[in-house]
Amino acid sequence: MDISSIQDQLIARFPNQPPVVDSTGDLLTLTVNKEVILETIKFLKEELGFDFLTDLTGIHYPDRELPLGVIYHLHNFRTNARIRVKAFLAINTPEIESMTSLFAAANWMERETYDFFGIQFINHPKLERILNVEYLDYFPLRKEYPLEDQTREDKDDRFFGR
Amino acid sequence: MEHLGKEHVLVRPEDYDKNFSTLNLGPTHPATHGIFQNVLTMNGETIIDTEQTIGYIHRAFEKLAERRSFYQITTLTDRMNYCSSPINNIGWQTTVEKLFGIKTSKRIDYMRIILMELARIADHLICNSVIGVDSGALTGFVYVFQEREKIYEIYEEICGARLTTNLGRIGGFERDFTPEVIRKIRKFIDELPDVVHQFEKLLIRNRIFMDRTVGVGGITAERALNWGFTGPCLRAAGVDYDVRVANPYSSYDDFDFIIPVGTQGDTYDRFCVRQEEIWQSIKLIKNALENLPEGNFHMEVPEFFLPEKQEVYSNMEALIWHFKIVMGEVAVPVGEVYHAVEGGNGELGFYLVSDGGRTPFRLHFRRPCFVYYQAYPEMIRGSFLSDAILTMSSMNVIAGELDA
Repeated sequence: MDISSIQDQLIARFPNQPPVVDSTGDLLTLTVNKEVILETIKFLKEELGFDFLTDLTGIHYPDRELPLGVIYHLHNFRTNARIRVKAFLAINTPEIESMTSLFAAANWMERETYDFFGIQFINHPKLERILNVEYLDYFPLRKEYPLEDQTREDKDDRFFGR
Repeated sequence: MEHLGKEHVLVRPEDYDKNFSTLNLGPTHPATHGIFQNVLTMNGETIIDTEQTIGYIHRAFEKLAERRSFYQITTLTDRMNYCSSPINNIGWQTTVEKLFGIKTSKRIDYMRIILMELARIADHLICNSVIGVDSGALTGFVYVFQEREKIYEIYEEICGARLTTNLGRIGGFERDFTPEVIRKIRKFIDELPDVVHQFEKLLIRNRIFMDRTVGVGGITAERALNWGFTGPCLRAAGVDYDVRVANPYSSYDDFDFIIPVGTQGDTYDRFCVRQEEIWQSIKLIKNALENLPEGNFHMEVPEFFLPEKQEVYSNMEALIWHFKIVMGEVAVPVGEVYHAVEGGNGELGFYLVSDGGRTPFRLHFRRPCFVYYQAYPEMIRGSFLSDAILTMSSMNVIAGELDA
């Protein structure tokens, strides 16, 4: 299955909100609107054979209009093709459909993403923190929580990039 | 202590008037081989359900990685699957090489294969011998632990460390294999088959062992795929997916080896798949060692390979490069890569997003046992407690990797 056929089938399936396709990276990358994420993944799984959820994780770009992202890596074992799907969310309403109805494996991956980025997965059976303690009141992998103490004066980060 | 959640009470109030009992398995129980908790609801000896709690040794590696330059992250990967840390180290190094577009020479690839397969043997020996221990056979464990020691001596000869190896560098190795390393590997490969045979004789057709493991903790291929299983646990269920073959890295495609698969996906099949993989790894190491090409042990990667110490003291440019490498001030391409290697227990993936800064913008580890350990309640529901222990040890769940 080549890239253009995947692209054509997706555009035919979602004419109103076609995915943004980027084939320049290491994997074919689709960026879709969060409203159609469940249908897109379902279509990829059931029609195009991407029936293995390799990875699901989050990302935070603080400077973007839609700062929070959810990144899915899917794998088609029959053709040995991998695909990456991204959806971006607003910081005030970080809500997206859960993939647990399609992949059992999404359960903990989504809990981990919630734990670290605060992304709410709608229809998740048990959206609780998984690795951090229950009473943690922030989402540690967001970029506004720096790893080092920002009140330190003996060290100037300007000289070291980040 | 009110912030500690409801999971931590011994008997839940709603169970007082039921005949069910609640049993804490873990967090620190000798049979869980790591720190994770299962609160089992039992009907007599039968497990009705379990509630898993993980995260006891979470160390925030993904956050730490955002403050570390690329070569410093190798030490974080050691501490994930600490039974086979060279695979993690080399997995991370090949991920960075993929981002930089570095193509390593055959010599480096073969050296890496030798180390990764040694690590796989160590991982599988521990896991399989521990299945034996949990079924009551301590003898095999003692036999093969001596072999693990020999593997660690080889690591020690190569990099100076035994468990958390920090082995290799981005673009190759920090030093060449010494003749002593080659001698040790040859000796080990010559002696291992006898020990593995002996170990297999103890367990593989042992009536008690088979009664305890056949049909225990089984899972179908369909469910295993849905749960995101990879590695020996998936292959035991009958799916021949192995990253070494599906997406060959480090010149694995130069070698001829078999991917063993099981049929039932139960504890016994997982045991047998690992046993066969040990034999395949021995074959791979032999082949790689015989065909090891001559050449340099590292690529010309000025971004990561430290100049000779003599040069650093006498040559200005070398001193500048040395400083730049150590401070992580090298030019990093912008981009994102997903790279996976076949770890000891499944597909170990690295999702790396770089914005050109000295550290990764985002690094996510796809830890195989984090993904498949969530299927554990489904696998033990309706079985006995003693079977649940065996199922857990046969899944090769490593706490360090589970919690990252």
